Amino acid sequence: MALEHATELGGTTLQVEKHWRELNRQKKLYGWGSVVALIAFTFAALWFANASNAGKFFDRLPHVFDFAFDLVPRDGWEIWRAMFDLPSPYFDGSFQYDYPDGRVYITQSLYIPEYFYKMLETLNIAIFSTLVGFTFAFLLSFLAARNLSPNSWLRGTVRRIMEILRAFPEIVIAGFFVAILSIGPIPAIIAVSIHTIGALGKMFFEVIENADMKPEEGLRAVGGNWIERVAFGIVPQVLPNFMSYFLLRLEINVRASTIIGAVGGGGIGEVLRLSISRGHEAKTLAIVLLLFLTIVCVDQFSAWLRKRLVGAQSFEFVNGG
Amino acid sequence: MFQIKGLTRRFGEKTAVRDVTLNIINGQMVGIIGRSGAGKSTLLRMLNRLVDPSEGKVLHDGIDVTALNGKALRDWRRDCAMIFQQFNLVPRLDVLTNVLLGRLNHRSLVPNLLGIYSDQERAEALMALERLGIAEIALQRAGTLSGGQQQRVAIARALMQQPKVMLADEPIASLDPLNAKVVMDSLKDINEQDGITVITNLHTLDTARNYCGRVIGMAGGAVVFDGPAESLTEDAVRMIYGVGEGDLSEDITSTSIKPTQKGGRNSKSTEPLTARKAEDGARIVSPA
Repeated sequence: MALEHATELGGTTLQVEKHWRELNRQKKLYGWGSVVALIAFTFAALWFANASNAGKFFDRLPHVFDFAFDLVPRDGWEIWRAMFDLPSPYFDGSFQYDYPDGRVYITQSLYIPEYFYKMLETLNIAIFSTLVGFTFAFLLSFLAARNLSPNSWLRGTVRRIMEILRAFPEIVIAGFFVAILSIGPIPAIIAVSIHTIGALGKMFFEVIENADMKPEEGLRAVGGNWIERVAFGIVPQVLPNFMSYFLLRLEINVRASTIIGAVGGGGIGEVLRLSISRGHEAKTLAIVLLLFLTIVCVDQFSAWLRKRLVGAQSFEFVNGG
Repeated sequence: MFQIKGLTRRFGEKTAVRDVTLNIINGQMVGIIGRSGAGKSTLLRMLNRLVDPSEGKVLHDGIDVTALNGKALRDWRRDCAMIFQQFNLVPRLDVLTNVLLGRLNHRSLVPNLLGIYSDQERAEALMALERLGIAEIALQRAGTLSGGQQQRVAIARALMQQPKVMLADEPIASLDPLNAKVVMDSLKDINEQDGITVITNLHTLDTARNYCGRVIGMAGGAVVFDGPAESLTEDAVRMIYGVGEGDLSEDITSTSIKPTQKGGRNSKSTEPLTARKAEDGARIVSPA
């Protein structure tokens, strides 16, 4: 009998013990049930994917490297020439080897290589729209947080707005605005900003809802109004987390603005899509390399900045809340 | 003067404060004692409306506090400062800023948000800190201070409100005996020097005896004792703490702190409880 150790327990305590065992059995049952259901679902999904692919997965597997072979340039230096817009020895009048064509001249002789310029454009889109998104998300999040929102109607409305804003992927919004505003970085900025407001706003109000309300209560007892209580009681607490999410979002937005380029949002994504579709192997490799290096740099920079901005304070032990 | 009339607060099924009627004269130092969950905190919080009453009224100098709203309510909270068990400072801001925040309600929004304070205000904040003996930590972040220091910062902030009343919700429950003494001495000093009414919740019987001229005992949400500290008899204490015959020794609640200057109540007050009859017009109310 499972209760043999419990024999020395008194009446009420025995009841508690029995109840605990019952609940524990139930919890285990649910736990294992979920695992089994998850495995079954995974297999079903794989089977469905293969079936709807007309069962070609294994047939096409040997061709997986074809695209990679198409990308091999005539010689290794071609990638550097393409990246820095230097003339190619293979230049034959065709666009494929005409690297200097895209140079962006600042003075008579000084130029920025085309892809660096496009990369800057993409970074610019990402940084600017992250800032715009941060500003609006910041302002809205305090209205959306359960512990601060002045009334539930306003909170509901703000939350719904945020949900709508983040419901559509950037690329869909960008496609919509490209149709209205034509090709260029402006639709990209609008699209990324809109999505960022919704995505950051959700993160922000969740951070706010986890905030310690004691400082806010203290300021309420001082007689501060809502804005003052939020500004001094809540913002100092949540700002380090906000900065952390801001930087994370910046990293995400650099990738997002790259993709958006491919649907006409300007920047590096646009030239990447063109060079892939035209089969310009050296240009494609130069862009991919540049993109890779940029993203690594942005991630490193943001990690460094996060440590500078929030690290020192937020890992410090704070006494008495 | 506070006139509390039939004040009741329910949380769902539970009645935290039951039909409390009290008058508190301006300038009194009142200690409210009782077990955890006796409704002390809720009663105190209804006075500055951090908790709204379910029934009853609170009047202060003829103004119906329970009916206030918006700006008038915030002004009342300014006049009725509060000290918390957990200090409720902003841990990431420095001490001086925390103290200056006590001025929020005296000023307008824009200079508040921009953190623009006059030299006069800064000097007053420093003077408040000096009065509490912690001027040297003015530029430290509040979160890095010890509990005793934080509570003194909280008192300095309350002083900056230029209040008429100071409520203290278990001000010393999180402090060691020495810091508890410093904090209670400060509250007493504020009461005596500035004539500010101080109403404080306390866990410990002897602290209430030593510092407060008037003691209010609560049990089960109702006031069961109200009178001068001297008349706090063993019977009254039993009723407040709800313990049976012979179970109670004052030592359980004791942290043995006494005011230094100007003497406490009297020397008898720290003697172990002997059975004494209620005296001096104290009333013992049976719990409902």
